[in-house]
Amino acid sequence: MRILLVLVLLLLAALFYAWESPIDPVTPPEADAFSAAAVARGEALAGAGNCATCHTVSGGAPYAGGRPMATGFGTVHATNITPHPEDGIGRWSEEAFVRAMREGVRRDGAHLFPAFPYTHFAHTSDDDLAALYAYFMTRQPVAGGVPDNTLPFPLNVRLLQAGWKLLYFDGGGDVSDPGRDDVWNRGAYLAEGLGHCGACHTPRNALGAERGDAAYAGAVIDDWYAPALTSANGAPLPWTRDELFAYLRQGATDLHGVAAGSMSAVVHDGLARLPDSDIEALAVYFADLAGAPERIEPAAVRDAMAGLDADHTGRALYAYACESCHYNAPGAPRALRPELTLNSAVTGPDPTNFLRLTLAGLGVGEGHPAAFMHGYAGALTDADIVAIARYLRGPAAAEAAGWRDLDARLAELRTALEARP
Amino acid sequence: MNKFAHWQQQARPATRLTRRGFLIGAAGAGVTLAFLPEGQAAATDPDAAAAAGVFEPTIWYDIDGDGIVTVNIAEAEMGQHVGSALARIVAEELEADWSRVRIRYADSDPKWGLMVTGGSWSVWQNFVPLSRAGAAGRMALLEAGARLLGTSADRCTARNGEIRAGNRAVGYGEIVRRGGLGRTYSADELEAMPIKPPSERRLIGSSFDALDVPAKTNGAARYGIDARVDGMLYGRPLLPPTRYGAVVNGIDDGGARDVPGYVKTIALEDPSGTVPGWVVVLAESYGAALAASRRVSVDWTPGKTAGVGEADLIEEGRRLVNAPDGGSMVVDDDGVQAAFDGAAETLEAEYTTATALHFQMEPLNALAYQAEDGRWEIHTGNQWQSLILPVLAEALEVPEDRIVMRTYLLGGGFGRRLNGDYAVPAALAAKAEGRPVKLVLTREDDVRFDSVRSASVQRLRAAFDADGAVTGFEHHAAAGWPTLIMAPGFMPKGVNDEPYDPFAIQGAVHWYALPHRLRAITNALANDTFRPGWLRSVGAGWVNWALESFMDELARSRGADPVQFRLDRLLAEGDNAGSAPNAVGGAARQANVLRRLRERLAADGPPPADTGIGIATTYGQERAMPTWTACAARVHVDRNTGKVTCRKLTLVIDCGTVIHPDGALAQAEGAALWGLSLALHEGAAFEAGQVRDTNLDRYTPLRMSDVPELDIELVDSTEAPVGMGEPATTVVGPAIGNAIFDAVGVRLRHLPIRADAVRAGLASV
Amino acid sequence: MSKFTLNGNPVEVQVPDDTPLLWVIRDDLGATGTKFGCGIGMCGACTVHLNGRAIRSCITRVGDVAGADIVTIEGLDPAGEHPLQKAWIETQAPQCGYCQSGQIMQAATLLADFPDPTDADIDAVMNGNLCRCMAYPRIRRAIKLAARELRAGREAEA
Repeated sequence: MRILLVLVLLLLAALFYAWESPIDPVTPPEADAFSAAAVARGEALAGAGNCATCHTVSGGAPYAGGRPMATGFGTVHATNITPHPEDGIGRWSEEAFVRAMREGVRRDGAHLFPAFPYTHFAHTSDDDLAALYAYFMTRQPVAGGVPDNTLPFPLNVRLLQAGWKLLYFDGGGDVSDPGRDDVWNRGAYLAEGLGHCGACHTPRNALGAERGDAAYAGAVIDDWYAPALTSANGAPLPWTRDELFAYLRQGATDLHGVAAGSMSAVVHDGLARLPDSDIEALAVYFADLAGAPERIEPAAVRDAMAGLDADHTGRALYAYACESCHYNAPGAPRALRPELTLNSAVTGPDPTNFLRLTLAGLGVGEGHPAAFMHGYAGALTDADIVAIARYLRGPAAAEAAGWRDLDARLAELRTALEARP
Repeated sequence: MNKFAHWQQQARPATRLTRRGFLIGAAGAGVTLAFLPEGQAAATDPDAAAAAGVFEPTIWYDIDGDGIVTVNIAEAEMGQHVGSALARIVAEELEADWSRVRIRYADSDPKWGLMVTGGSWSVWQNFVPLSRAGAAGRMALLEAGARLLGTSADRCTARNGEIRAGNRAVGYGEIVRRGGLGRTYSADELEAMPIKPPSERRLIGSSFDALDVPAKTNGAARYGIDARVDGMLYGRPLLPPTRYGAVVNGIDDGGARDVPGYVKTIALEDPSGTVPGWVVVLAESYGAALAASRRVSVDWTPGKTAGVGEADLIEEGRRLVNAPDGGSMVVDDDGVQAAFDGAAETLEAEYTTATALHFQMEPLNALAYQAEDGRWEIHTGNQWQSLILPVLAEALEVPEDRIVMRTYLLGGGFGRRLNGDYAVPAALAAKAEGRPVKLVLTREDDVRFDSVRSASVQRLRAAFDADGAVTGFEHHAAAGWPTLIMAPGFMPKGVNDEPYDPFAIQGAVHWYALPHRLRAITNALANDTFRPGWLRSVGAGWVNWALESFMDELARSRGADPVQFRLDRLLAEGDNAGSAPNAVGGAARQANVLRRLRERLAADGPPPADTGIGIATTYGQERAMPTWTACAARVHVDRNTGKVTCRKLTLVIDCGTVIHPDGALAQAEGAALWGLSLALHEGAAFEAGQVRDTNLDRYTPLRMSDVPELDIELVDSTEAPVGMGEPATTVVGPAIGNAIFDAVGVRLRHLPIRADAVRAGLASV
Repeated sequence: MSKFTLNGNPVEVQVPDDTPLLWVIRDDLGATGTKFGCGIGMCGACTVHLNGRAIRSCITRVGDVAGADIVTIEGLDPAGEHPLQKAWIETQAPQCGYCQSGQIMQAATLLADFPDPTDADIDAVMNGNLCRCMAYPRIRRAIKLAARELRAGREAEA
């Protein structure tokens, strides 16, 4: 009986901790309630946060939500964040908006799942949040709810998220380093905050939180591999500031390849709204994070491209199926002809991106704006794709754990891709 | 005639235009110049006869009022620019203005007699009749032009589309417009036509652009796969597990019914037995037919060859060549048996070749429908209409004259489209549905349904006397026989009165002064498992592999130079003296190309380490139509990997008169590279009754980066023109095998040559 | 349904998104210069340009080209006188001709990327285009000829 009482008390205490009060609804503000400058700045910041990618379904109205995100726990649907009074955030006050961004709490007081990366957004400044609010409240309201999430009980109990926050949410705050210059600090602010780069590039623990001990160590998410952004990246040629800039600005670089999948959306739909100076800041920040040198010597490029086994069984397949687009002259790779010996999809520790791109290709507008790749799912057999992969990886690199059982990963990806719309 | 040519008299279809009269008469807006049908007496009113179409329409041409000369081409255009070469022959004798010469490809018609394009025959068999047809036109134009110029024909000359007298001239177009050209020539008159001596030729042998090329650079060229007719359905076949004998037990198309545009799936009933067990998926578009075909399952009971693999085919061939009896003795010179019985020493070797695919770029296809007048229309690219028309008649159960085959360009022939079996399922599906059906095979379907070149096994033996001289030479060759299966009427008989497939042994009836015994044996297991096909250079493509490899082995065993060893035996004497017109010069011309080859090689210098030079030669395919060919391959062998790289091919070819020098060169280039591809890059295999590798991820024909340096000489000659399409294919394989031996001392006896075989050989040297 | 432009003309087709672009171009839109060879993107006969670069239309889903500019051999040059086409005639490269539309379209991208191509460049970029007649030596010659022509044109403009 006493034990029961203790439990009840604990539960009440937890409930008290977890309980967030609702914030009263407001009449949706008129569009002219915000300055044009604030709206414009909010638009760019929404790009930095890449909000549209998650909050828009393929082919759907911008920010009307509905995009399913497969998490390890079930499928979560991004919400409608247009200013629609019933289905969107039209009745949210700025206070409610800021609380959601900073604390992961809905206007009605319910906890948001960390699929919404408030842990990063919490680093955002008041001014920037105000600008974002101005931007979203001036969008076209779109009616329509989103499908229910498919999280199983008890994971679907939002109140339990309070415990998750207790464990994994540090409350945000300023990420600046006074020992660094403004450019670096600008990069850090964008990357750690709105940019929420770690949401994909940092591996998560069993409860779905980014692992503090493995920041930017690279992770598989939603059947894409987000490579390490630290010195553990392991690309044949380092991610210099110039390479990072080119990648984040145009979606492709000569020495590393293209941004595919959700990263392509980050570049073309999100970062595209930022000025060169912000892209430069991100490049400076990540080049520093990875400890990259200032520049890459031409000889290093030539050396890095050399050395595939001309007698490998995958050679003919590569020569006849791939090289007409992927061949580059020695030492002269170019972004429009992704050089696979340098490409992270090939040289990285995980085969997901290589296999996925080979199966499904790269759509118009993805990656390099001028490039397109058709998928080979219906053309090449598993044995063919594995042979090409082994040829490109070379004998030593094939030993990376993720590349050992390519057949199994291929089968998984084929199934997953066929299930997609 | 030498003793080997006898079968050509039996089999040769090429005599079709001898002993015919010739008609020139007004028809429509122009003038028609044509052979008369066989047995047709010279018409009394040539204009009326021409207008009524009373002429042999396969080889004819017309001239319109603008002076445009249009030559009808009844040959399949599949890359050899045959229309241009044939038109050039007419234009030469007609003294036509080449810029006003056009070609028109002819559709089939029963009254046209044999329609076939293959065997490198086209120029050879048409040269004389076309020259006479051109000359007859010239004579008539001279007479009519002279009248218009008010002078006599002997004071006029024909040149570049005009009849000239002094400084006055009248163009061919004007002569046509003003009429009076009508006349006929009897067969005797035609044979007496004054054909120009070679020294007066202006078009033949000079450079020109092929007429079919421009349309092949802008998408305008129309191939069978481009055929369409209103209301047609598209079909994709589902092929049974065996070529013959499979029975359809059931079809489940439940999964296909929600594919937009899907119509139905039908099992074909084939009275001709050409495509037993075939099922066709029909849809309103080919995309839909493809999508639906992946969702239809068919339950078949396979035929008896369901378990046959490549090794079984080879093993059966081996059993046949080792058995003392069986087959057809094609050559049996006196004294061969005695030579072996009394031999001081013998040398023996077995050579094999793997199944080889055509893999022409345009997958097989045909559009079939019944026209309003009840006649059946078959639209497809084809090399031998006369072979498939009776089969189509049997399949459709209509008389042959109720079927017309419309002619299209061929996206590659290489012999595959000699066998028109692919037209049958289209016709059957169209008949079953009462709607036009365009059937297109996927690449995988095309390969599985290929009329492949059979795997082969050959055993060669030589007898030496006590002085080491070769006293006897034996050659036994077993393979599937295309002609036995598809055109047995073309089979001559050997000296033991047994019929044989000439196209499965041509190339082996060599011109060397060696007492010779040659036996051809059909491989029934091959014939049952697939429908053997004629593939570029047909029999010579594999028999010469054995013959010229073994000649090299013989030379090496005597310590002789391989070129000199052959030259010593290429003596234009007795059976090998050759005969006019086609084989004039005999073995001396083969010796000549070898000598010229040796001279060309002298400039190359000695090969570096692990690089060798191999020699091979051939007379082509037919002793009565020899194309004298010699080849040297310069080859590098990687001792670690066994990889063989061909660095250079040098060829010297004597094909008599060259009509279209650049076209002939293109044929030689393509044929030589075919030989290289077959030797090092291709080679198919049967597995469980089917071709195993059905697409380019596993079947790897030669590509751009595999092309070696090519050095090709066409011997300057005014002798009768013979074939150019194929001979260069047959010399490359043995030249490469011999070069590998020269480079690293490894003798390879199987085609294709694979790196692991070279490595194994290196390990045992 | 898919909308794109074919040789500069807007087109709209009512076919499932997973229909190969090749069959849409040939059967629905009637541009038959683009050919079917292998269906797995390994022979190059079906090569067309998407937004100016060579792709294999036989393995391209029509749904994936929405909004793109597709150009086939018929649209490479309005008069059929692209320097590559002229070079193909000059060298008499085509034999059966079936692969040549694809060869020319691929060669156009080759020359866009490698205006002065080496033999190694030609080997690598053109290896994906099978020519069963083995007209490779002439195709190589034609590419070099066209490259010279294009270079001369650029120099004349400069």
